[in-house]
Parts: sequence; C-alpha cells; structure tokens
Amino acid sequence: MTNPVIDEKKLIAQEKLNNPSLLRTIWREIMHDKMALGSLILFTIIVLSAYISPLFVDQTALTRVNFLNVWKPPSLDNWVGTDDGGRDVFGQLMIGTRNSLTIGVAVTLIAGLIGLTYGLISGYYGGAADNVMMRILEFLMVLPSLMFIIVFVTIVPNYNVFTFILIMSIFAWFGKARLIRSRALQERELDYINASKTLGTPSFKIMFFEMFPNLSSLVIVNMTLTLANNIGIETGLTFLGFGLPAGTPSLGTLISFARNPDIIKNKWWVWLPAALLILVMMLCINYVGQAVKRASDARQRLA
Amino acid sequence: MSLLTVNDLKVHYPIRGGFFRKVVDHVRAVDGISFELQPGETYGLVGESGCGKTTSGRALIGLNKATSGEMLFEGKDLAKLSRAERRNYTKDIQMIFQDPYSSLNGRKNVLNIIAEPLRNFERLSPKEELLRVQELVARVGLSPESIYKYPHQFSGGQRQRIGIARALALNPKLIIADEPVSALDVSVQAQVLNFMQEIQEEFNLTYLFISHDLGIIQHMCDRIGIMYRGRFVEEGTASDIYNNPQHVYTKRLIAAIPEMNPEKRFEKMHLRQSINQEYQTEYNNYFDKDGRMFDLKRVSDTHSVAML
Amino acid sequence: MLKFILRRALLMIPQLILLSLIIFMLSKAMPGDAVTGAFMSNPNVSPEQVEKIREKLGLNDPWYEQYGRWIGKAVQGDFGQSYVHKQPVTSLLAGRIENTVLLSLFTAIVIYLLAIPLGIVAGRWTDTWADKMIVTYNYFAFATPLFIFALLMLFLFSFILGWFPIGGSGNIRIDPGSWEYIVDRAKHLFLPVMSGALIGTYGTIQYLRNDIIDQKIKDYVKTARSKGVPEGKVYTRHILRNSLLPIAAFLGYEITGLISGSIFIESIYSYPGLGQLFLQSIAQRDFTVVTALVMVSGAAVIIGTLLSDIILSIVDPRIRIE
Repeated sequence: MTNPVIDEKKLIAQEKLNNPSLLRTIWREIMHDKMALGSLILFTIIVLSAYISPLFVDQTALTRVNFLNVWKPPSLDNWVGTDDGGRDVFGQLMIGTRNSLTIGVAVTLIAGLIGLTYGLISGYYGGAADNVMMRILEFLMVLPSLMFIIVFVTIVPNYNVFTFILIMSIFAWFGKARLIRSRALQERELDYINASKTLGTPSFKIMFFEMFPNLSSLVIVNMTLTLANNIGIETGLTFLGFGLPAGTPSLGTLISFARNPDIIKNKWWVWLPAALLILVMMLCINYVGQAVKRASDARQRLA
Repeated sequence: MSLLTVNDLKVHYPIRGGFFRKVVDHVRAVDGISFELQPGETYGLVGESGCGKTTSGRALIGLNKATSGEMLFEGKDLAKLSRAERRNYTKDIQMIFQDPYSSLNGRKNVLNIIAEPLRNFERLSPKEELLRVQELVARVGLSPESIYKYPHQFSGGQRQRIGIARALALNPKLIIADEPVSALDVSVQAQVLNFMQEIQEEFNLTYLFISHDLGIIQHMCDRIGIMYRGRFVEEGTASDIYNNPQHVYTKRLIAAIPEMNPEKRFEKMHLRQSINQEYQTEYNNYFDKDGRMFDLKRVSDTHSVAML
Repeated sequence: MLKFILRRALLMIPQLILLSLIIFMLSKAMPGDAVTGAFMSNPNVSPEQVEKIREKLGLNDPWYEQYGRWIGKAVQGDFGQSYVHKQPVTSLLAGRIENTVLLSLFTAIVIYLLAIPLGIVAGRWTDTWADKMIVTYNYFAFATPLFIFALLMLFLFSFILGWFPIGGSGNIRIDPGSWEYIVDRAKHLFLPVMSGALIGTYGTIQYLRNDIIDQKIKDYVKTARSKGVPEGKVYTRHILRNSLLPIAAFLGYEITGLISGSIFIESIYSYPGLGQLFLQSIAQRDFTVVTALVMVSGAAVIIGTLLSDIILSIVDPRIRIE
C-alpha cells in the first residue's frame, strides 16, 4: 500500500450516502406522510413552548395565591383562566407539560435500559439462564402493576420526583424485555454472533456492540410508542393523586381538579385544556411512532 | 508432532421428557471420534447432513461444549482449559463460516468487521489498524476503497473473502472451514477454494475442512475422515479413500458421485447395484446389532476402516 | 395435552406464593398495623395495653409465623378487619365485587361486540374507505389515555347533554328487581362501560385485521377458492375459523387491563366498586383492605392468564411447546 490515506473523508461520506442510517430513513418516511409531518411539527411546537416559555414566566407568580382573582374564565390577561388560588392556568399548563414530558422521557429511558439489558442477557445466553429469567419475567408481568405503583407511592419514605420516576420505571420494562429477548434469541443463532465468539470478543461486548445494533430499530420504535404510554400513566397517576408530589405540577395535577362535579361543568377551563393537550400530544407521538415503525420495516415503508 | 490430536471426542445432547423433564436419553451428535492434524495439511471431514461433522468443528473451536474426550492442541487439552486460558488459543484457531450472509454483521463496515479480532488481541493505533486491514483486504483480492462498505454491498464470494480476511487477521495456525463454499454459486466456488489453497501456502495454515461435497474434498484435502451418525467410518489419504474404499458406506458415498461421461452410466449403475447387494448381505460386518459402527481398524499405514 | 395443562397449572402455585409473599412484605412496610389503626387514636387505651394486644394478636412473632397465619386465613377467605369500615374485609369486598365484575364483564362484551365485526370488515376489505376509517378509529383508541377519554365522555354526555347520571351505580330508592331498577342500573353503567370499551378495542381489531390479511394469502385459502368455494364461505368456513378462535383465549390476558381500567373508571364515575374502594382505602390508610385487594387482583390475573394459556393451547396446538 503506497498511499494508505486515499482521501478517507470522501470515501466515508460516499458510503454514508449509499447506506442511509435509520435516522435518515425515518426522516424520509415522515416527510412522505403529511399527517406524520404535521404531528411532528405540532409536537415540536408544544415541546419548544413547554421548555422555553417557563424561562420567561415568573415562576413564583404561578405559585402565589391571589384570592381576588380565583376561578376567572379565560380572558386576555389569563389565556385559559385561573384556578382556585387565582393562579394562571396557562403558565401551569406549560410547566405541567414540561414536567410530564421530562418524566415521561426519563421513565422511558430508564425502563428501556433495564429492559434492554435484561432482554439481551436472557436472549444471548438462552438455555437455562433464559428459562429462569423468563419465569421471573412472566411472574412480574402478571402483577397488577398500577396497584403496586400506587402502593409503593404511598409507602415510600421521602417521596419525591426521583423516587416516583424510579417506581414507574420498575414497572415499565417488562414488555420491552420480553420483546428484545425474543429477537435476541433469533439473533444468537446467526453466525455473526458465533464469529464474534470465535474471534475472542467478550460476551458483554457481543451483546451491546454486535447484537444491539441489529435490534436498534426495534428498540427505537418501541421507545417512541412507550413514551406516549408513559406520559399517559404519569398524568393518570397524578390525576388520581398518586403521581407527582405537590409542588411539582404536572398536566395530571390540573386534570385532577375534574374530580369535583362543579369544576367539571362550570370551571372547565382549569382541566379541559390540560386533558386536550395530553390527548393531542399522545396522538402526535403515536403518529410519529407509526412512521418510525414503518421506516424500520422495509416492507411497510411508504417512501 | 501433530498440531491437533483429537481423542475419543463426544458431544451428547440430553433429551428431556416426562412430567418432570428428566433426561431420558441422549442425542449422540458426536460419539467418540479420534484423528490427528499435521501442520500444513488439509484434513477433510465428510459425511451426510446430520452426521456430526459441523458439531465436531464447533466443539473444537469452543462453540459447543464437548461432553468428553481430549482435544490436544500443541499438547494442551482444549477441553480442560478454563474460559480465560482458552482465550490464549483463540488467536491460533479460527473459523470460516458456511453462510457468508449471516456470518458478517450487517451493521458494521468492512473495516470494523476485520478489525474486530485485532481490537480484541492487539493494541494498535487507529492508523496501524487501518494499515493492517488494508493489507488484509488487498490480500483477499478486494479493492482498498471497499473497507468503508457494508456487507450487503458485496456478492457472496466477496463476503466469504471478507470472512477469510477476518479469520486471517490474527495469523492463526489452524482454520476450521465449515462448508466454506456450499452457500456460493458453483462458478464462484472454485475461485474461493483455489484462493484458500494459495493462502494456505503463504500463511502456512492447517485446515480442518468440513464438507458434504466429495468432489470438493477430493480437490482440497490431503487426508480424509468419513463420518456417519457421529462416528468415523473410514479414514485415510485422499487416494486411499477414493481409489480403495473399504467400508460399504464409503463405497456407497463414492458411487453416488454423479458420472459426467454418459458412456459410463451403465457401468456406474451396475457398480451401485453390486454395492447395494454387498450392503444387504454383509451388513453385520460393518454394523453391530444396534446399528452402531465398530471402532476403526488399521488396514495400512495411512488407512483405517470401521469393520469387524 | 393434559401434561401441558398440569404443568402450566403447577407453575401457578409458585407464582401465587411469591405474590402473597411480596404483598405480605409490602403490608409490613405500610405504616401502622391492625392495632395502631384500631386503638392508637383512642386515648383511653394506654401504650402498655396496646403492647399487650399486639402480643395477643401475634404481631411480635417472627415474620414467617405471621405470614403463615395471614396466608392460612386468607386462603379461607379471611383477610382481617377494616378499621375504617369496622367490618371484616371479606364482607366489605363481597359488597363491592358485584359492581366491578358487572362493569368489567359488560366492558369485555362490548369490546368484543365492537371489535370482532370491525376487525373482520377491515381485514376482509383492506384499503377500502371502511378499512381506512376503522384503522383511524383504532389509532385513536390506541393513543387515547383511558382517564382522559372517560373524563371527556362524562363531561360531554352527563354534564353538557345531561343524558346520563353523573356517577354512582344506581338509585337506592328504587325497588330492586323491578323493571325500573334494571333501567336505572343500565343508565348508570352505560357511560363507564362505553368509556372502557370504545378505546379497549385496539388489541382485538389490530389482531383480527392482521391475522385475516395474513390468512387471506395462505395456500389453504387459495385451494378453497380454486375449488370454487364462494367468497363469503371462504371467510366464514375457513379464515374466520382460524382467526376467531384465539380471541376467546385473550380474555384472560385482558384482566390486568380491566383491573387498572376499573381504578380510573370507578374513580371518575364515582362508581362503588373495588377500584374505588382501593383508592379510598389507600387515602384513608386502611391497609388491611389494600392488601386484600392487591392479593385478590393479583390472584385474578394469575388465574386469568392460566385459563388463557390453557384455552389457547387447546385452540392452537402449535404453542403447546413441551
């Protein structure tokens, strides 16, 4: 080799073009689906305003009680009215969205990591290890998890946002682990795994650097779809009064006003916008998730 | 001294049954085989599918666990080594896989595929690594710019060359080639086989060549072991086996090689009929009452047969 | 076959034991016990007396003895006393269980009544406008969180339109057994059932549609067509026979969803069932009731899954892996 550096950069760029990454494929798929594109744009707007607007809003004003201003219907001053303490609902809506999103993402990531590790180990080793791990998983899956989460939330000492995220994550990874395990079980039969073994690659490296990239599209699809689900569970729990601790408002906190019949009917501006906002976010995330799913499976692609 | 000595190797799988899933019996995938590999030779393992030849190869490289028996590599028994000690021999024994499509990770480019063993065993700077990979890629006859391509951009033959380059990266002494060309087009098979012979001389390799194709085995191998139902039927040099088959199973195998010359078709048919006759009348000379083969018996310096 | 059922049933026993152990541990971690709840707030009972009662009730014994006693009684249907309601937990549950079972049962029935025809239509006439509408509906059903949907239904039909009562399970002043009583109960059940059912159809529709699309191109269907079997009969006699059978089995797997659903639905419609009792008991720290409820729900899911597995193994021999 006289000239080993034969314009590396150009070569790499060229091959990148020939081998579009999953992200690129997803992008192309979304661009081809007007609804998915619309969902993505709408969702981005919601996310951006939820994360940026609290920077401009006086946070303390949102928690200050103002008895002269309680239960005000929507007006120019308060776009969607005020609540029982005269606090601006729109500001709470933004902060609630931010909190719900952050927690949803955190739970999805933690649960994803646990599920991925568990599923990969179970599927990679197979045999007796897999057998034991699957029996355990089967057991965990029959637990009435909503009840368990509520019980944990009530008995955990020093309950705060982090313990809440942890409790939710503990019950959110079972399905993922089973999904990844069944795919890993198929992958382990393929010779590239055997080849890595004969080349002396350590097992954990084979799992995470050889096997995992081949399952990544599955993981991404699953994560997008469960993100929506986790936001739903979080707001639902907060609605019931077993979610975010007081002081960390979530969209569920606003909706929980709706447990009073008078408020449902006569002060709808407190809870209805939050409910609709969650609904819109769920629809957007799921629609994008469907496009991601199609992108990961060549047979279903529209683009 | 021989490079590899296999003594009475057995690989058994339990069959579980009954209510409590107790082990009721075993599948005797490999049931007591012994052979030796001399440095620089090509040893062929032949037999019909399911005879245990692939299982033997996988046991040697450690993908399957041997139930019992010895596998002496340069005098060290691989079967008794711990996982960590076994790693020291990973460099010396490598494998070429049957399916060039599933044996390369589709998510990695050629550079990363070939560099995988280097990263496990040698501390190289990225630049040195790139150089080594480029050398290997050039040696197996692929263009240097292909190192950033992904497996799906290559043909089956090219993929198999990438697999060979990966196996060569650590300068092994023994390569176990498990049906290396049976997934390839016939037109490409010869290319890959001749290439394997070239690098054998260049790198002073020993091959354990596993195949069901008698023609390829004849072309490639110095010595041959015929396997049937997990046991050796006959062992000898290529000429022992092809010109002077002793066991009725070997005879039947060789008689089954298609005859290209149409004028010899009837001759061949008569041969087959007579072998079949022999199989029926002299069955008891070759198989015991359980249908199991006898142990190998020497008939000449190089030639052994499993006969009564 | 029998061997599979027996082995599968045996697997249930360790699951139930483990479940009860976990729940017992949790109940020990819950603040307060039977004595604190019943006597602590009573100033006439001195700490020494409390200690004596503790000793008498065995609350100072090692945990495994306490567990043994608890599970022994639980098996006989005795879950202890609720200190809020001052009555045995079992009779408390018995008074509520009918409502929840009724709610879940009707929800399941409506789900199947909606989902099966829709799934068949979508699968048989793929890519028609009907299919597209069903797929869109199903997408909404999948994406919408249950509690939001239930709230919106309540808001719209009870508060704005006033068609249905805003909560409860029935008017107690109406004589049970009369026609009026049944109509009244139905009116109270309608919205809770519909809230759960309308968005509970997702799994069944999705399964049926995909399965029918898969079956349509199988060789046995082509054979039937080529023999001249009319298109309608191809579906009723051949495809649906294969696609519908497993659906019967899925009911057991749905129990988890129905239980968590009932918690939301009963809370939103103030429907006096087990889900509402669970939330009330948690809020009032009535932990004997909570423990019993989690145990009963867990056991229901385990048994439901067992039944589903068995039915599925009868319907589809392929999954009966030895």
